[in-house]
Amino acid sequence: MSPLPLSDTDVHAYVDGQLAPARAAEVDDAVAHDPALAARVADFRHQNAALHEAFDAWLEEPVPPDLVAAAHAPADAGRWRRFAPHFAAAATLVLGVALGWFARETLLERDGTPTTFARQAALTHVLYASDANRPVEIWAAEEQRLVRWLSRRLGLSVHAPDLNTFGYALVGGRLVAGNQKPAALFVYENGDKQRLSLMVRKRPGESETAFRYAVEDGVGVYYWVDENCAYALSGQIDRAQMLAIGRLVYGQLAAADAASAQGK
Amino acid sequence: MAATDPALPHPELVAAIPRLRRYARVLTGEATRADDLVQETLARAWEKRRLWAAGTDLRAWLFTIMHNVFVNQRALARRDAQNVSLDADDAGAAWQIPVRPAQQTRVELMEVLREVGRLPVDQRAVLVLAAVEEMRYEEIATVLSIPVGTVMSRLSRAREKLRRASQHSTEPPAALKIIK
Repeated sequence: MSPLPLSDTDVHAYVDGQLAPARAAEVDDAVAHDPALAARVADFRHQNAALHEAFDAWLEEPVPPDLVAAAHAPADAGRWRRFAPHFAAAATLVLGVALGWFARETLLERDGTPTTFARQAALTHVLYASDANRPVEIWAAEEQRLVRWLSRRLGLSVHAPDLNTFGYALVGGRLVAGNQKPAALFVYENGDKQRLSLMVRKRPGESETAFRYAVEDGVGVYYWVDENCAYALSGQIDRAQMLAIGRLVYGQLAAADAASAQGK
Repeated sequence: MAATDPALPHPELVAAIPRLRRYARVLTGEATRADDLVQETLARAWEKRRLWAAGTDLRAWLFTIMHNVFVNQRALARRDAQNVSLDADDAGAAWQIPVRPAQQTRVELMEVLREVGRLPVDQRAVLVLAAVEEMRYEEIATVLSIPVGTVMSRLSRAREKLRRASQHSTEPPAALKIIK
């Protein structure tokens, strides 16, 4: 019946719906006349259905925040690399001169986007966390007082996450300028005197929730926004460790929020 | 402020993640390593974003990148003598497959998956791309950088093996045992 002999490829293409209609009609015909071929086609179709049924379940799993973050453009890396020398000079100014502070304010108030938040966090980190002697206003020895004070000033309950599992101990914290509202900054340090900072501020109205990673002038910033707050973890450590610490912070804050919600 | 680079459409990229994860799991046979592979693939995609021709199939392009990353990682792992084998038997044993309890064919599905896990990774990749991702054979050839003829012979071998296995599988569901 078939004008051309059936090849193995024809059979697979037939099962997978990849044959041109004319050729598929010829295979239909061959299948109708050949029980062995019909059984093989039926088995392959059955396999396809079973594979779909089994593997499609994986598509319904929630995507981890890390991967959502990885789908974002990597923090305008190209742009910052181009401007890095200028930015470094500006950052030095900010560090050295009081005037720099006002420049920074102008820079930060330009808009309220998450990108600005990351930049703000990086600048704040460079400004304070790199200060060897006075990175914080209240030291970790008075953690409770620190947390009470910051919670009152921010108008929300803040917590200093415990990063000891990563070798980072809380140094202390301070109040810093946010866009319109104050923000809290917690500073951590490890045995090698490397510092990390976590900036927390009230959510300024945007509904962004994705985790994002940005590199601002050599400072890695991992940031996200939840229902109430925007968070940014900043430091000059490698990205993988930053993401791991970010996950830990996120988990602890979520647990603390759940606990305080239950307490109410 | 400059807008984000328009080269890669962000929503489509996010939408592709579940499929990338699934394929990564098929390749590595393990969830954690699969997510690392996806992470690496996305990073590589951004690095190479200028190589993507806008308007072409983003999914196929991402799968191609993932395949290359996987092949490179596998080469490294092999150099690393005692690394976990990615081939044949033990990969299938490590799979954590979320088969919904309501499925009446649960045991049969576990059986199919176990057999898929036993296929050499090259055949497994072709089978899943054809049967589950429903890619055209030419597209699969591009993704795996192999001739279409090789796609067909791998697909054929994979299907015949599964077919033979299902004809012999009247024994109890060994897939539920933990082999590792």
